[in-house]
Amino acid sequence: MAPTACFDCKEARAVIIRPKNRHKLCRACFIKVFETEVHETIIGTNLFFPGERVAIGASGGKDSTVLAAVLKTLNERYNYGLDLCLLSIDEGIRGYRDDSLETVKRNAVQYEMPLDILGYSELYGWTMDQVVEQVGKKGNCTYCGVFRRQALDRGAARLGIKHVVTGHNADDVAETVMMNLLRGDLPRLSRGTSIVTSSDASDIKRSKPLKYAYEKEIVLYAHHRQLDYFTTECIYSPEAFRGSARTLIKDLEKIRPSSILDIVKSGEDMAALVPVEVRGAGKATQAGAEEESAGGCGSQNGRTSGGEMAAMEKQLTENDAAESLETEIKLPSGARVKPNRGPTGKAVKTQTIKHCERCNYISSQRICKACMLLDGLNRNRPKTAIEVGVGMEDEESSSTLMRQMERAQLSAT
Amino acid sequence: MYLDSGGLELLFGNERKHKVVLPARLEDGSRPNISYLLKYLVDNLMKDQRIDMFIMEDNVYVNVTLRVYSNSINDVDRRPGILVLINDADWELEGEETYELQQGDNIVFVSTLHGG
Amino acid sequence: MYSPEPRFNSRHFTAVIMPAKELNKQCMECKDAEFELTVRKRQLCRFRFIAHKVHSRMSVYRAFGLDGPKTQLLLPVSFGVSSSVLLHILNADRQHRLDNGRPLGYDFKILVIEPSTVVATGIPFDQNYEALEKNFPMHTISRIPFHSIFDHVPEMEEIMQEYAGSKFIDDSTRSNEERLSAFRASISTPTSRTDVDTVLLTRLVVEFAKKSGCESVIWGDSDSRLAAKALAGVAKGRGASLTWQVSDGMSPWGVRFEYPLRDLYKAELLQYESVCAELSDIVIPDQPPSDNILTKNLSIDELMLRYVQNQGAKYPGVMANVARTANKLNPSTSDNAPTCALCAGLVGNVKGNSGVTVANQVEDNHSSQFCYGCMRSRPEELC
Repeated sequence: MAPTACFDCKEARAVIIRPKNRHKLCRACFIKVFETEVHETIIGTNLFFPGERVAIGASGGKDSTVLAAVLKTLNERYNYGLDLCLLSIDEGIRGYRDDSLETVKRNAVQYEMPLDILGYSELYGWTMDQVVEQVGKKGNCTYCGVFRRQALDRGAARLGIKHVVTGHNADDVAETVMMNLLRGDLPRLSRGTSIVTSSDASDIKRSKPLKYAYEKEIVLYAHHRQLDYFTTECIYSPEAFRGSARTLIKDLEKIRPSSILDIVKSGEDMAALVPVEVRGAGKATQAGAEEESAGGCGSQNGRTSGGEMAAMEKQLTENDAAESLETEIKLPSGARVKPNRGPTGKAVKTQTIKHCERCNYISSQRICKACMLLDGLNRNRPKTAIEVGVGMEDEESSSTLMRQMERAQLSAT
Repeated sequence: MYLDSGGLELLFGNERKHKVVLPARLEDGSRPNISYLLKYLVDNLMKDQRIDMFIMEDNVYVNVTLRVYSNSINDVDRRPGILVLINDADWELEGEETYELQQGDNIVFVSTLHGG
Repeated sequence: MYSPEPRFNSRHFTAVIMPAKELNKQCMECKDAEFELTVRKRQLCRFRFIAHKVHSRMSVYRAFGLDGPKTQLLLPVSFGVSSSVLLHILNADRQHRLDNGRPLGYDFKILVIEPSTVVATGIPFDQNYEALEKNFPMHTISRIPFHSIFDHVPEMEEIMQEYAGSKFIDDSTRSNEERLSAFRASISTPTSRTDVDTVLLTRLVVEFAKKSGCESVIWGDSDSRLAAKALAGVAKGRGASLTWQVSDGMSPWGVRFEYPLRDLYKAELLQYESVCAELSDIVIPDQPPSDNILTKNLSIDELMLRYVQNQGAKYPGVMANVARTANKLNPSTSDNAPTCALCAGLVGNVKGNSGVTVANQVEDNHSSQFCYGCMRSRPEELC
């Protein structure tokens, strides 16, 4: 094929096709347009203020590495006046996090940013290796996910920083939209797409400046700028379960590459249509605390597991059976149906936000999940195996579905 | 989780670079293309985890960089989440699997999936 | 076997908690039909279960009509399983009410958009149409071709030209049929074609409903179908339109859209249809999905249908919940906001959506007479 000229400069050889609009761009124009778009997102949402101290949640993976590189570039180019630093969480998984932390350490030198590494052992008294030793490999993702959600906030608080940025990209946001639709989770549907999430409890603002950036473009940006990032899967979930939503989104991207941003757009619009009474208690949402993980664990981030789906199916079947015991829908004579409510329109559950009695972290329960898990771990220290007590994993069906979902990927081996 | 590099150099991070030698003409007279390379990678890298280093005349040398998980290379055209770059260009710009390999081409397979 | 008694009495509900043994061979509702299947843990004859679900939905209309004029509804029949089953249930209910001298509350007209003008399958459907007329003689049935959209929506000519862009030239000397095919052919991908077809068909149905004095359209979408529609709508950037494309509610044209089959799985409708003699000559069976189509050549609608079917086999409740969730969204309250010339969806963002880059980028480059979703399906877009 004859080389294609760049759509923007019309001169250099095009090397990338943008998923968003199919424009073919050369390396230089692509890097420029990618950075400019992130800048526009930042300006359009008033994301930062001059002099703000911002911690970049850094895992050494592509997303957070690109985020650090772009923020450094933009901060200098447009004089944001930000005081940037890197904040990493060490789950304590030997052979996995060790290597990626080495990457983060190099990044700190490359980008001239201070780096803080906060370990699970420091925060919780347990490394993931120790957790796995105690609970086994099954279900350990639950611990890691719950611990990770809190770790960044706690780390930032320790540094006296009030704003943490994470590398969540458009694919992640799209996945979350689809997930929440599949889960029927309206409160999260109303929050999942917003660029900033904050929680009263920790007073720490979380944001995702790469919210509109395609995962594919992030990888290409890293490649063309030869960024130093780490690619691997967690050793504890080598064939990480890729949930329904993710598979679906990757299929959609093949059919119509723009669809990832189209889902983000739909998600933003639908968020505005979620009835106010189910959105959650204003600013004091759990969004920042319980919905995002720091930098994307391959198996848990924004995805459902087979167990979760099976558990939900069971719940829905029970609800259905209960519903059929209800009497026929009665309408007061002459009453008009409320616009846009199904005749069976049921009250939607609301969430109340409290603080964990142990650690004061925001939680929908009296004791937050992390403290509950820790309780279990500490009680059984050193060796007794315990059940994963958060009521979301049905191991049998989880592994069955996992096998089913992985079949496509494994069949070729 | 990575392909054994077969004693080849390790670049920064965890890239795996391979020098792959392919016949200039295949049995049916056609020239090796990306499809052929994929099959070759699966047959040779996956099974023996070693690279055939015989060098003969009339061969095509290509540099292959892998930043993918071990299972994913099997299924590159059907499985989402892997980018193929031919001399730094998206393979869509070069005719995807039909692209005929040239001497010294750089082929990169990059995973776009999470792993951090 | 089937006596259409739409009311449910409490006796039937007490029966639910009785030991299963005593009910072994009996439908829990009509008592006379032998129990045929367990649907969602209740032993019912298949007619009863399905009809009950629909009657619950339709009782809303009855409530309207009791102390006012009869509500006129339009039922588009596609000769697929779902719309045919809906017709059968509504017809039986109507007949039963007439026989018993009870008020109808609503009445409905049937609209057939000739399938052969929508999809060139080559399957003749005249016999199916004749069977429809023969088996449902009490209803007004109208049969119109897809390309009658030019007659029913006069401004469509202009909209199509505008939408398809400069590369498309509408030759007004040709027949309506040829002009519509030329327009449809100008849209390059299966996803966009299916998307635009759906928009046009909806427009045609709405205009026909208005002209025939119907205040609502009752769509035959099953639960599975609505779930697929919701997911596809979201994937195509049409999330804001779910409030009438999937939810029961007012459409932007002032005609209400209702989905009385929203609580029924496709599989249940198939069960109903399979034992319904009146429908056997009417329903055109679904084409089995082709296995050898690459994912990237499917339309998004097709992908989502397959997804819902596959996942629905194991997680029917989860799939059903998708449509239910969409049904809980409030309609947009942006008064006087510009709407799309083609699909009547909102142009720009829904009020309260502060998204900065996504919508603006797509719409600003072109005229803003089309919404985000329609811009994505435009012929000039290369995606």
